[in-house]
Amino acid sequence: MEPTNPQFTPLQQLSYNQAVSELDAILRNMQGDNCDIDRLTIYTRRATELIAECRRRLTATDEELRAILADLEK
Amino acid sequence: MGILEETPQPVTLQALARRVSAALADTSLFNVWVVAELSDLRVNHGHCYLELMEKHPSTGAILARMRAVIWANVFPRINADFLSTTGQRLASGIKVMVCGTVNYHPAFGMSFVISAIDPAFTMGEAERRRREILRKLQIEGVLELNRSIEWPDVPNRIAIISAPGAAGYGDFIHQLYTNPSGLRFHTQLFPAVMQGERTSPSVIAALDSIAAGMDEFDCVVIIRGGGATSDLLAFDDYELAANIAQFPLPVVIGIGHERDTTVLDYVANMRVKTPTAAAEWLIARGENALAALRRIGAEILQCATDKIAAANTQLAYLDSTLAMAPAAALQRASSRIHNATVSLAGSSARLIAPQLARLEATATSIATAAHTATRRALDRLEARTSLLQALSPEATLRRGYTITTCNGRAVTSISQLSPDAEITTHLADGTVTSTITSTQHHN
Repeated sequence: MEPTNPQFTPLQQLSYNQAVSELDAILRNMQGDNCDIDRLTIYTRRATELIAECRRRLTATDEELRAILADLEK
Repeated sequence: MGILEETPQPVTLQALARRVSAALADTSLFNVWVVAELSDLRVNHGHCYLELMEKHPSTGAILARMRAVIWANVFPRINADFLSTTGQRLASGIKVMVCGTVNYHPAFGMSFVISAIDPAFTMGEAERRRREILRKLQIEGVLELNRSIEWPDVPNRIAIISAPGAAGYGDFIHQLYTNPSGLRFHTQLFPAVMQGERTSPSVIAALDSIAAGMDEFDCVVIIRGGGATSDLLAFDDYELAANIAQFPLPVVIGIGHERDTTVLDYVANMRVKTPTAAAEWLIARGENALAALRRIGAEILQCATDKIAAANTQLAYLDSTLAMAPAAALQRASSRIHNATVSLAGSSARLIAPQLARLEATATSIATAAHTATRRALDRLEARTSLLQALSPEATLRRGYTITTCNGRAVTSISQLSPDAEITTHLADGTVTSTITSTQHHN
């Protein structure tokens, strides 16, 4: 039987703290005994996306950094 | 002579000056320690010229004022000592304890020649002032307000109050934007004067601008200077401290001197020694957040890996079990059938024998019972037959009774008969037909 996919909030609509809370919730769920193996992929993929989004918000790309530094040196 | 005696005998000004000078040659005016406030301080050709003042403690009215000088032969040492101990320069408004001698010069007038300054007094004075400000903030209940504000997990939108060209500002920005983890920061400078009398109103104005758009920021960083010398007096200010204490965003103070503190260090949420340290602190928070992400990512990976490994192990077990399962199942089924057969045989013998015995016994008793019942029925029948014969109409007729019929019906009442009717009388061995001549009712 195909498990119904959980409804995830789009990443752009999440605050950083909400994203981290969701990561915690996913981890707790996966550590629980009743974690559905069918959903493992779904949750792992979601967690990966959340982490990538959080990291993206925390860090700037090299290009951005160069632009900022160039700006500051004007 | 009288006139001569009354005529004043003037002396030269120089002579008067000598007299004043002589009058001042009193040991009580030598090397006197005096407490005073500095004013109108200026340095010229290495000499420091200033005024000493005493003001009324509550009205501020000038109670005493005296010219003073620190000669160039001692000024550099006194100045350096004072700066290194107190962290501030000799400047107007500072209270000092100075040692000097009252000197009168015929050409330049009276002045107090300072030979030493006790920096510890000024330190104590500043400390007393700081304590007073803090006590006031405590009484007003605002002392801990900024310190108790919770930080967002990752503060990266930073309002900076600094003098635009200051080395400290440059250090801070450079540190922040070249952090090795590539953390993203948004900064905006709110320029302010960071020394002298205009410091407090200027920093307060910058705070007001930040407050107007406070949703754009996670925190405020107040930094200054880069040079070793610093004049912290301007920061020991009640208005400025009260503003910072009540500011709605956490405030980081990085104006410090290595050893000295200002009241701002006690009211701001976070105190760091240098602008660079402020940047490092913010970077550390971001790096902690990144580390937390890495940790949770690793845990999730581990979790998923474990789950899959467990599922694989389970599958392998099932796979190996499955290979032997049909044979084992057949074996189990056949032995179950065998057991059933054996126990069935045993139980049928055990159960059927008594049934058979009971059946045989029943057959015998049924035969007996049938015989008895038949016998009894025959007896009863015979008895009934005798009785029947005794009661039959024929027997009655034979005993002399007759039956009278009229038109084929038995006559049981006189009312059935009328004269001239023909009646038949039945006897045991024949019938008599008669015609009625009369009828008579019994009464």
